[in-house]
Amino acid sequence: MPRLLRNEERELIHSFLDWRFGIKREHFTEYDIYAFSRQAFLFRTQREDFILPRGHFLRCGLPFMRNVAGYLKPTTYFIQRFGDLAHKNIITLGKEELIELCEKGELALDKNSKDIEGPGYVITKLDEHVLGVNLLIENRLLCRLPKALKEAIKRLKKSQ
Amino acid sequence: MADFLAFLEELRELIPNFDELLTHLKRPLPTYFRINTLKTSIKRAKETLRSEGVEFSPTKIPEILKIERFDAQRPLLSYYLGYIYPQALSSALPVLALSPSENEKVLDLCAAPGGKTTFISQLMNDKGLVVANDRKKGRITSLLSNVKRLGITNTVVTIGRGEHLDLPYRFHKVLVDAPCSGQGKYRFDERHGTIKYMKRGKTNLSAIQKALIKKGFDLLLPGGTLVYSTCTLDPEENEGVVQHLIEKRRARVMDFSVPIEGCPGITEFKGKRYDERIRFCKRFYPHKIDSVGFFIAKIVKE
Repeated sequence: MPRLLRNEERELIHSFLDWRFGIKREHFTEYDIYAFSRQAFLFRTQREDFILPRGHFLRCGLPFMRNVAGYLKPTTYFIQRFGDLAHKNIITLGKEELIELCEKGELALDKNSKDIEGPGYVITKLDEHVLGVNLLIENRLLCRLPKALKEAIKRLKKSQ
Repeated sequence: MADFLAFLEELRELIPNFDELLTHLKRPLPTYFRINTLKTSIKRAKETLRSEGVEFSPTKIPEILKIERFDAQRPLLSYYLGYIYPQALSSALPVLALSPSENEKVLDLCAAPGGKTTFISQLMNDKGLVVANDRKKGRITSLLSNVKRLGITNTVVTIGRGEHLDLPYRFHKVLVDAPCSGQGKYRFDERHGTIKYMKRGKTNLSAIQKALIKKGFDLLLPGGTLVYSTCTLDPEENEGVVQHLIEKRRARVMDFSVPIEGCPGITEFKGKRYDERIRFCKRFYPHKIDSVGFFIAKIVKE
């Protein structure tokens, strides 16, 4: 069964989102965070007397954050929904660049954006659309999009 | 095919413009997309779809577009970004009849693959609580996937037989979109002399439906609302099930309105008489709405 995160665990997640993407904790005052199946889930806060249904339970809320090799990684689904709240570490790619990222698994970047603060996860956009997060290491963007989305982007090439 | 035609003949007097229905069923099912306003605006979704080469026209439901032309082989980013959910026009109607509000507790008893669940969350602005249950593991995978693709946070997914579901609370609203024979979806395949989308098997569907509607009703708070729906035309799976509930529980069938006009529920079929209030149920025939045929009943717990 999921476990409601302790205040210090929750604080760690909000500090990370604020530090890395400028997403403020104030946006999440009406949400609880549960740990379940090695992931954190963002779940709309319920009344005080709420309990999760034990017998039949499968999942609650939106996959929110994972621990990948000791680092926090926001899920694609969370970023697609709440990524518009971010104001730093955002990379906007053109269609060709995005297809290359998905086909080769990485993309060399010659962009020196003042909004990118060192290596780590960056929110990736196509035009105004938030796609998810990818990993930036020394001007190389490593693809971390889910397989289905990656495949869909690759096939955009054929339809150009 | 002959069986279905014989069954339809029994409904000839009850279905308006019956011959039109027979002609309509030779045409393929039209495609509709619902726009997920939790992730995008209707305007932005339309712009994105246009940029992806999708041609569409509006429907009487602002969030739902009728797709006139698109390349089914071409992946739509709109889909992977969770902007759209392919959903029959009529399949949105039970949710509109349920009319969920922010901060209510809502149960979707037979939820997979999640079209109605996610629309419920959307109408609740992703607030309150939605419990989405289904019994089939395979189908529940698509429910989980759709809930996350559409970015929903207010939903608990449970697995189990709906008729035996044991939950620690009662709900303001319950949707029982019951498993059914799916006749509303049937289309004639004249080339092969068969029926497309026909379900096989000899399950006693009306017994399951009766158990589900009673369980859904029992999980309501006093004064709560239940919507029972199927995508079939058979009165035994529709009016017959509602009649069973009325006989077993203190349930009142209510009139309701949705943006698309339906026909009244049947009060007599094959010698069986149903309660007069069952005329408040609504039947949506494929040729009248250009979508999957549906039956909807709105019931209040007294």
